[in-house]
This record gives sequence, C-alpha cells and structure tokens, in this order.
Amino acid sequence: MAAGFKTAEPLEYHRSFLKENCRPDGRELGEFRATTLNIGSILTAEGSALVKIGNTTVICGIKTELASPTVDGPTKGYVVPNVELPSLCSSRFRSGPPGEQAQAASQFIADVIESSEVIQTEDLCVEKGKLCWVLYCDIVCLDYDGNLLDACIIALLAALKNTQLPEVMINSETEQPVVDLEKKRPLKVHRHPVGSSFAVFDKTILIVDPTAEEESLSTGLMTVVMDEEGRMCCLHKPGGTALSGEKLQDCVSRAVARHTEVRKLIDKVLESMKMDT
Amino acid sequence: MATVQVSEAEKVYILHGVRDDLRVDGRGCEDYRHMDIETDVVSNTDGSAKVSLGYSDVLVGVKAEVGKPRPALPDQGYLEFFVDCSANATPEFEGRGGEELGLELSNTLYKVFSNKQSVDLHSLCISPGEHCWVLYVDVLLLQCDGNLFDAISIAIKAALFNTRIPKVHLSEDEEGGKEIELSDDPYDCVRLNVENVPCIVTLCKIGHRHVVDATLQEKACSVASLLIATTHRGTVTCVRKFGGGSLDPESIFEMIETGKRVGKALHTPLMELLKEEESLGKKRQKVGFLG
Amino acid sequence: MPVDHRRIRGPDESFSPRLFLPSGSAKCAAAEDRRSGDGARGNMDVRAIFARCGLVSQAKGSAYIEAGNTKVICSVYGPRETERRDETEMKRGKLLADVRLAPFSCRKRGQWIQGTEEKDLSQFLLESLRPGVLLQKYPRSQIEVCVMVLENDGAFLAHAVTCASLALADAGIEMYDVVMGCAARRSGDAVLLDPTFAEEHDEHPSPSGKESRLTLALMPAMNQVSGLQAEGEMDAESLVEAARACMEGCYKLYPVVQQTLLKSVRKKAPPPES
Repeated sequence: MAAGFKTAEPLEYHRSFLKENCRPDGRELGEFRATTLNIGSILTAEGSALVKIGNTTVICGIKTELASPTVDGPTKGYVVPNVELPSLCSSRFRSGPPGEQAQAASQFIADVIESSEVIQTEDLCVEKGKLCWVLYCDIVCLDYDGNLLDACIIALLAALKNTQLPEVMINSETEQPVVDLEKKRPLKVHRHPVGSSFAVFDKTILIVDPTAEEESLSTGLMTVVMDEEGRMCCLHKPGGTALSGEKLQDCVSRAVARHTEVRKLIDKVLESMKMDT
Repeated sequence: MATVQVSEAEKVYILHGVRDDLRVDGRGCEDYRHMDIETDVVSNTDGSAKVSLGYSDVLVGVKAEVGKPRPALPDQGYLEFFVDCSANATPEFEGRGGEELGLELSNTLYKVFSNKQSVDLHSLCISPGEHCWVLYVDVLLLQCDGNLFDAISIAIKAALFNTRIPKVHLSEDEEGGKEIELSDDPYDCVRLNVENVPCIVTLCKIGHRHVVDATLQEKACSVASLLIATTHRGTVTCVRKFGGGSLDPESIFEMIETGKRVGKALHTPLMELLKEEESLGKKRQKVGFLG
Repeated sequence: MPVDHRRIRGPDESFSPRLFLPSGSAKCAAAEDRRSGDGARGNMDVRAIFARCGLVSQAKGSAYIEAGNTKVICSVYGPRETERRDETEMKRGKLLADVRLAPFSCRKRGQWIQGTEEKDLSQFLLESLRPGVLLQKYPRSQIEVCVMVLENDGAFLAHAVTCASLALADAGIEMYDVVMGCAARRSGDAVLLDPTFAEEHDEHPSPSGKESRLTLALMPAMNQVSGLQAEGEMDAESLVEAARACMEGCYKLYPVVQQTLLKSVRKKAPPPES
C-alpha cells in the first residue's frame, strides 16, 4: 500500500511525513545523512578521496602536471576542477558531453576554490614565468542520490589535503625540469570550505541534505559554503522559491555547525591514516 | 557493415557445403578468391595500392609527413591509421553511418601494428625528440565483402612497399638550431622494409568448421569470426574475436593454427608479385579503378 | 583538437611530471619472474579479488571489483525502451556497453572526451558480454552497461568484463552464465597472469624480444570463449599457452564471483526462517 502511494503521489507521500516533522528515510528535517570518507584510496592519483553522504557517492582524484604559467599570472599555477556525472551514477544522465547540471556543478566548484582561497595558486609556481603546477581535480559521481555539491566539496577538500607534490628543479644547463618522485611535499591547504545544502518544500519547510527524490519534488534548492572562521565563501541558490532573511540565517547557522562536523571527520580520517603508516 | 538476408534453406545449403569442404563458389575451406593488386595508383601520395579481393575493393594511400615524436618514445616515428567508409560501398555508410565501422577497423589496425617488428619505427626518426616521420595510412573502402580485414591488410602492405620517403639532411645553423633539408632529387628516397608487415586472415566459424575469405552469404551463417594477423615467419601480432557468438576453446586453437598457416603462405607470393610489378616499371599494364 | 566548452579548461598544454624524471631511474625492474618483486604471487597466480554487488543505489544492478589496486565499478540500467526508435529490434533486445577511464585512473592523466581507445574497450566488452545474455527475452528494449575504471593497475579490461557480468546478474538480467575476464602478459618465455600495470608496461626487452598481451573472456559453465584479443609478437604455441593460462585464471575466480552473487541474492531476498 505504502509503495503504491509513494509511486502514485510522491509529493503527498513526502508531505505526510513532513507534517510529522520527519522524512521518509526516518531523518529529522535538519539531519544530515551519515557521511563517510576514505582518503588516498586511488594510488594513481597524487591525491584522492571518496565521500559517501547516504547513498550519494563521489570520488575526487587529483593529478598534477607541469605547464608554463600565463603571461598575466607568471607566479601562478592552475587549479582545474571538473565534475562529471557519468551515465553510471543515475538513469537521469546520458553518456557523452556533460549536461547542464554537470557544467553548473563544475563552475560552482571552481567558484568555491577561487572565493575561498583554499589553494593559493602562488604555491604552485616552480619558476616565475617558466614553470608551474597544474592541479587537475576531477570529481566523479558514482551514485547520484541528491546533494551532489556537498559531497563534491568534501571530496575535493579531502583530496587536496592528501595531495603530494614531487620536488622539481630546473637543470641550469639544459633548462629542462628534473623531477624527483622520491622527495615529495604536501600541498598547503589554506582554507577549509564546507558546503551545506538545503531544499525548500512547499515554499516554507526547510530540509537539510535532500535526497535525489526530495530534490526533484522541492520548490527550491540552496547551498551555503562556509570556511573555518565562520565566513561565507559562496552561496548558491539557483532560482526557486524566495526565502526570508530569517530562514537564510537559519541555514547559515546550520552550515556553521555542519562545518565543524565535517572538519572533525576529515581530521579523524587523516589522523587514522597517519597511525597506519 | 554490409549484410545480406539469407533464408534458412540457403543457410542449411551453405552449412552442409562447408562441412564437406566444398563451398558455394567451388572453393575449399582455406582458399582465397581471385585477387587483384595494383600499386602506385594515386600520384599525390607517397605510396598507394588498390586491392580487390572477391567483392571487396580497398584503396590505401600512404602519406609521409614530418612531425614531432611522441614524448614517451622520442627516438621513433609512428603510423596513423584512418579508415574511411565511402557511401559508394553501401548506402548504410552515408552521413556518419560508416564512422563506427571505420573506427573499429582503424583501432584493430593499430593493434596489428603495435609491436616492434612490423615496421622499423626507429628508421622513421629524423632527430630524437624533435622530428620524425609520421606515416598517415588512409584506407578507403570502395566495396565491402566478408573479407574486409584481409583485403585492407594486403593493400596496406602493398602501399607501404610502394612508399618512398624523401631523404632529409640535418644541418645546424650558427645558433645551434637544427634545420631540415629535403633532398632536391625526387628519386633520392628511402624505402621501408615491409618484410615483417603482417597480413590479416579472418576466419569465419560456420558449423563445426571455419572458412577463409568468407562471402557475405557465408558470413550471415556464422556467429563468430576470428581475426589473426601473422608475419611471413608465422609470428602472430594480433588476434581478435568478432561477432555476437562465442567459440569453444579447442576450435579457437584450431583457427589460430589455420590462420597462421594461411597467413604465412600468403606472404611469399604477395612479395613476389609486388617485386614483379615494380620491375615492369612503366611497361606495366594499368588497370585503374574501372578495369 | 576540438575545444571543450562544457568543461573548465586548464592550460593548453601540460606535461606529466614522469616525463622529466632523471634518465635511468625511471624504468622499473624487469618482470621476467614475478616472485622477486611481487611478494608471494607466482607467475600463474591471479590477484585475489574483492567483489561486491548492489553498491549503486540508483541502478538496476551494479557491481564493484577490486583486484590488487585495479578498481572497477559498473552499473546496469534497463531493460527499458530503446532511445532511438529506428534502431528498435523486434525480436531481441539491444545491449549497450560504455567503458570510461576516470582521468585519474592512469599514471598519465586522461581526457574526459571519450577517445578511440575507450570506444575500442567498449566494443570488446560488448562482444564479450553479448553471447552470455539471453537477449531474445527482452524484445524491443535496451540494456545499458556502464563501466568506470577508477584505478588501473593492470588487466582492467578483464576485470571490467567480470564486473559487468556481475552487475548484469545483479540487475536480474537473464544470462547463460557469468562471463569471466582474465588477462595475461607474455614477456619472453614467461607468462604472467593478471599482470599489474608495472608488469604490463615493463619496457625492458626480454632476451628473445617477444612481448604480447592477451585478454580473454570465458563463460566457465559452458566452456565457451566469448571474447579474445591479443596483440604484440607471439608464436601460435605461446598464444595457445597464454590463452589456456587465462582460462585457468577464469576458473580460479569463478567460485569467488559465485559467492558474491549468492551473498547479494541472500541480502535482497533472505531465505525464509524455518
């Protein structure tokens, strides 16, 4: 009976739960799904992390390459983030070039990197005007069950914290770079942005960490990105219902609390990795 | 690929024939059909050949261009394959219809040539890390039959045999930069050693036996085929299964054995033919495309 | 080179740091014999695999395989209506396969745009799986198999075949048998089964100079080979030997795959408590 109701009237089904201040998966309105993190599992990448928020699974791998810097930024390296939603992760995506959602997510991640200053691109310079590092941050969604952006930011942050850059020297005779893979230094992560996503139901009810189904039924979505000093780096609200200032304030304070949770999680996982080695 | 409709009765007829080593056109299971080879057919390439085998018609042109060696292999040149499926062959190839088959064919050709022996890639190097010869092998399918791979590989071998790469000299200018000079004499050129270029034999499994150089009707009766590329010494450079069916291991081993035997036997007459045609020089009879 | 406007682009040209290693240090040791390097694994041993079904919540069926450091994930969608009406086949279903290599899965960064190599891999996967699936049971519909290689530490295509057929089984698609994949590399006289990336790309020429790679797909219950590709230089005898070795490898992994399936079925439909 319940299954039939869910399929025939999904919105009513969700409303009947929200009336009781809970959600079909048993969560409260302001509760995130269980978040798990695995850092450094991809050895072919210079840094990597796998994040699961409930069913949503995202993996980020960072490859480093050498390139010459741009003319207007001779002391700067590059950070190139891309989010991919392959046909593997949900039946709603087709294989081929990235769709609108993937493009928007890539741009959002690029904005977060730039406005939060998580990486200072000057750190990536090897020699001024000649050689710098490029960080290709490729984020792949493996299972799409809503709240992609939060998962992407956590995966990116954890992968960056895991990234090691090999030592590079420039041979003065040949002017060719020489790389020493034995000597590596960790990448400096200056800020720790963490995102929190919200969905608005029926223009008034605010829920946290929506699933794919909740996302598609909701009337508005919003993502707030905070850093460790409680500053907002990015606010993403693509259309939908208008929100009052009060509600927005609620979201921001929830995002601050979420920041502490995620930060703790990352530190815990990194700590346990150190213990292992 | 071009396909034909074959009725159940026809299938049984072909199947029984193959079982008794007598095919519809009178051949045995390991016989090729008549083959025509002509080299030097396209004047604006560095080497070309046209092969028709049964109802397959293939034109191959080789162009040599100076390029940059691959970073991982600085002291070698390389080959690039491109297969163009002309809409002349079958209306299915119109527009982008032939793209998939073309890609499949060219990918297989890369595999066939992905070894150190087939072509001496070191000889294509001009100066390590900077310049090398890139041989663009362009295959044009004019008519398709069940034996595409075989015809293409023979045409490539003939075209490579026909290829003349201009001689170049490296000279250093005052600033230490290198300059490439092309020889003035158009007859001053290098030829490739094509002895080890492999030939492809496609074997179609029909009933419990397998046949060489299948016609389209025979191909329609077969669930799977095996491609085997062999050099004149019998070294196998590529094996690949095609088609929607599966094969039992023993028959695969038998097919490899047959493919090797047939392929090896193909090389000697082919080389003799190519040499003979060349020795005729201008006297040779031009057949052209309509012949 | 087409410009990709739908992705964030980096510099026009960038190089893997591995190209600038001091000369001589880059190449790894020869892998004529595995026992010296790879711990206890003998030349004819396959890596122990970890396999799990049903990890992708959104898919009809899915599977994940880890063999050594090679990691492959696959999900299956369908059977559903064919996307392009003109390609609908009345009598049998259509199987589609898509293999992608994540950009960070190899030593050198890959591109997102699907290259010819990935198309070739997809083709091999499709041809290996097709004989195993009862497509006549799914007229007018299509079944999609999507594979993502997360890390390539050798023989990823072979494991992709196994992973994909596990995912098909997990999706409840009717099959004759699970299709198993196995790869081998031959360097000189030594056959290395289920090679790692370092063993696959070992550049040291062996004394006889002949090197080859082979990937084979087998349906063990029927003893039928559904996929085979080999390249390099080999004589017929060594080819047959390598193919036999791969079949051995498939048989070795077969029980593990069966157990994985059994486990996932038990989880989905627990046996009634008596």
